[in-house]
Amino acid sequence: MKCDETRHYLYVYLDGEATILRRWRIRRHFRQCPHCEHGYVFEERLKLRVREGCREEMPRELVERLRTLLQGHADDGM
Amino acid sequence: MADQAAFTDDVMEYAPQLYAAALRMTRNPADAEDVLQETLLKAYRGYHTYAEGTNLKAWLYRILTNTFINKYRRQSRRPHEVELGELEDFYLFRRLGDDGASGASRSAEDEALDRFVDADIKAAVESLPENFRIPVLLADVEGFSYKEIAKIMDVPIGTVMSRLHRGRKALQQALWQFAQDREAAGP
Repeated sequence: MKCDETRHYLYVYLDGEATILRRWRIRRHFRQCPHCEHGYVFEERLKLRVREGCREEMPRELVERLRTLLQGHADDGM
Repeated sequence: MADQAAFTDDVMEYAPQLYAAALRMTRNPADAEDVLQETLLKAYRGYHTYAEGTNLKAWLYRILTNTFINKYRRQSRRPHEVELGELEDFYLFRRLGDDGASGASRSAEDEALDRFVDADIKAAVESLPENFRIPVLLADVEGFSYKEIAKIMDVPIGTVMSRLHRGRKALQQALWQFAQDREAAGP
């Protein structure tokens, strides 16, 4: 597998959705190409960083309001 | 058929995650609250149609995504299927990680990412066109599989993959731009 093919399937590999054969070919390419391997490690870290950066605290009063709203519907026997 | 009485407890467990996703979709707290409230009410009314034992989280995100799209497409005159221009591989890595120190410790990649603050990341995600933002959110933030995303968005898996590919590349460009602008503006 060459660099362009590896990059084409990089996200599929990153997301754990590549076939066994493709995973094997990509890992073999990484052993021969440190640039692609480092690029991949970077993408892996970035994905985690995006998840972390999008965290939000839900306002407590919103939680309470929604809970009350749903329970109100339940009590109506809706 | 699922038990309606257990609904509140089961579903409120996902409310904080749904709220965070709604914030990224709508880009403001007031609209996020509206979308979340409507989502929970729709889920409540439709709970009897939810097949117990199947993926509750994916079911809720499907309602959230549809609620967002229906509510905001009607209001918006912007075309919602936006295309992205040419996008480079390893865009950020070329600018941050690959500083010639090849064979450097892997923590170099983490240090490079320290340059971004959470606000850069949120702004970059929110800057993506909706058809790219939603798959990126569902994959990167929520950790759904391609198959689940395809079902949530009601598009083929191939579409999910290509939007995710292009969306992530566009996200890197936006992230670079937001960090540069913030640094240029000073503390």
